[in-house]
Amino acid sequence: MKHLLLVVGLGLSLTSFATPSYKVTVNGMVCSFCAQGIEKKMKALPETKGVYVELKNHLVVVEAKDGLTISQDTIKKIIKDAGYEVKNIEVSDHPIEHIKSGMDK
Amino acid sequence: MFIFNYRLWVIPLILLSSHLALAAPMGFEGSVMTMFDFNQNWREVGFNYAITSRDALGLNHLEFRSDDHKDKRVVNTVNYTRLLSRWNLTDAQSNLWLFMGLGQIRQGHIADGVEANTNSFITSPGFQFDYETRRIYFATTHKFYRATNLNHDTTSIRAGFSFYEADYDQTQPWFILETKYTNQISDKIEVIPMLRLINKNIFVEGGVNNSGQPRLNLMYTF
Repeated sequence: MKHLLLVVGLGLSLTSFATPSYKVTVNGMVCSFCAQGIEKKMKALPETKGVYVELKNHLVVVEAKDGLTISQDTIKKIIKDAGYEVKNIEVSDHPIEHIKSGMDK
Repeated sequence: MFIFNYRLWVIPLILLSSHLALAAPMGFEGSVMTMFDFNQNWREVGFNYAITSRDALGLNHLEFRSDDHKDKRVVNTVNYTRLLSRWNLTDAQSNLWLFMGLGQIRQGHIADGVEANTNSFITSPGFQFDYETRRIYFATTHKFYRATNLNHDTTSIRAGFSFYEADYDQTQPWFILETKYTNQISDKIEVIPMLRLINKNIFVEGGVNNSGQPRLNLMYTF
C-alpha cells in the first residue's frame, strides 16, 4: 500500500511539474537562413529550455524550463517581429524530443 | 539620365523560358549580416546591421570593371535596406525590398596606357522582389548607380530549384541560374549557373559564368 501511494504521489508530482511545449504553426517559414532569427530569439528567453524548428510542417516548438511557462503573446510577438505570421499555437505536455519523434500527433 | 537599353528586356525574356534567386538581403533584428561577392570583373564586400526587423544599415565596398579592363569603378557607400512588404503564405514567402546607398565613387579610365581617375558623390537606390518556397526560388534586383557623368544600371534575375526539401538543421543544396547585366560597362549579359548551399546562418554560392570566369558568393549572419 505504501508503495502504491508512493507511485501515485510521484506520478502526481511529475504531472504538476510537467513542462509545457508550445507548438507554433508559422506561415512563410521556408528557409533556414531566414528562419534562424526565430530560434535565436526564442532561445534568448529566460523561460526557454529548448527550441525545435521543422520547416516541413511549418512548426516551431518551444519547450519551457521545469515549472515555468511562456506567454503565448511573447511567442507571437517574437515570430511576428522576425517577419513571420503565427497561424496557430497548441500547448503540449510533451517535451521537444517526444514531438520530434512524431509521437505527439 | 537613364539610358534605356534593350538588353534589360532580354534578361527576363531568357528566364521566362524556364522556372520562375538572392536570399534576404538582411538578417533578423539585432543581427549582423556579412556579404562577399567575387568574380573577375565584380568584387563586392559589405555588411549590415538589422536595427529593426524591417530596417538595416550597413557599409559596402564595390569594385567593377569593363571586359577590356579599361574602365574601372570603385564604390564605397553607406547603405540602408528596407523591407517594404512581405507576404507570408503557408508554403511560400515573398518580399519587396528597397535599397539606398550614398557615398563616393572613383571612376577610372585607361587611354593610351595612362590612367585617369575622377572622384564624385554617388547615389545607388535599388529594388528587389523575391519569391521562395522550399523547392523554388526567384528574385529580381535592379540597382541604379548615379554620379556625375555616370549612369550605370545593374539588373539581375535569379531563379532556381532545390534538389530536395531539406529541413531546418540540414544543408540545403540549390541550383541557381543568374543573369546579370550592367549597362555602360559591359556589352555582355552574364549568365551564371551556380550551386547554392544553405545551412542556417551560412550561405554559399559558386559557379562559372558564360565567359568562363568563376564566381563566389558568401553570406554569414551573426
